Amino acid sequence: MDEAHTVIEAPKEPTKEEKVVEAIKSRFPNVEAEIRENKLGRKRIWVRVSREDYKPLMAFLMELDPQAHYSIGIEQDFGDSLGFMSHLTLFYEDDPAVSLLVEVKVPKDDPTLPDISDIFPIALQFEREVMEMVGLDFEGAPDKRRLFLPEDFPEGIYPLRLDEKGISEEMVKNAGHPYLLRRGGGKP
Amino acid sequence: MRLSPLIPTVLRNLAKKPATNLFPKVEPVPVPENFRGRLIYDVDKCVGCRMCVTVCPAGVFVYLPEVRKVTLWTGRCVFCSQCVDVCPTNALKMSDEFLLASYDKYDEKFIWFKEEEIEELKKKLEEQKKAKEAAKKAENK
Repeated sequence: MDEAHTVIEAPKEPTKEEKVVEAIKSRFPNVEAEIRENKLGRKRIWVRVSREDYKPLMAFLMELDPQAHYSIGIEQDFGDSLGFMSHLTLFYEDDPAVSLLVEVKVPKDDPTLPDISDIFPIALQFEREVMEMVGLDFEGAPDKRRLFLPEDFPEGIYPLRLDEKGISEEMVKNAGHPYLLRRGGGKP
Repeated sequence: MRLSPLIPTVLRNLAKKPATNLFPKVEPVPVPENFRGRLIYDVDKCVGCRMCVTVCPAGVFVYLPEVRKVTLWTGRCVFCSQCVDVCPTNALKMSDEFLLASYDKYDEKFIWFKEEEIEELKKKLEEQKKAKEAAKKAENK
């Protein structure tokens, strides 16, 4: 019984995720890549990359699958560093597609990243959002205008920052509860 | 010129009765079961556990520590019914009322447990406390 099991399992094909991780690791030895599985059995590749390897890695992913789809770019404030995470979908001709997340962290005193809108044109929209929301600058982005914030929003204030560059107490408005308003002041 | 393919349907519909509800003249369309209408608060059942304050996404509740109750302003309510689900004593429930238009956002019907009621309850609680103390003193003597 045991022997039969090993015979069946031996010619196991590597899954699409494993192939992608293998390809990334052979090209970029310094990149951390792992496959995580959630409770529904969906596999995702999490890639943690340094700032120097970020753009070459993105170009390599495009090379790996010219149909690669850039879904979303997410910015985050980690206290001492700023994070930027890109979600990509590769090899989606046959279900299930490979879901891949690329995470870069940059220090707050030098928040710059290379722009990748020449590889994935839609990335520019997310980069514009990141630039106004956490103040992470994308070098060489062709369009650095604001995307969501209004014209009269003060310069140098980034709404999604958790430190002193974020929005201050005075900027937060509350329409107030009638019980609290009657006792003067809307703030509890 | 080609005639529109809709013409036969339009002609057929011209002969039919209108399928509308003439609202102010007749009753509105009946609400389904478990309809989430105006929030109703039962002050006597409330034990002041603050679960509704935690769960409310719209800031309807203000906790009153002196009387251990909450005061509500449903002008902000989004009818999500989370407070009803979480309330351990069923002091909150959803009614079938949905005609809630008003000229004043601080209208009587949007506020549960008003200032006067709070003051009244405070007085009552104080009296109870005094009575208790008096009873204790009497016991000790």
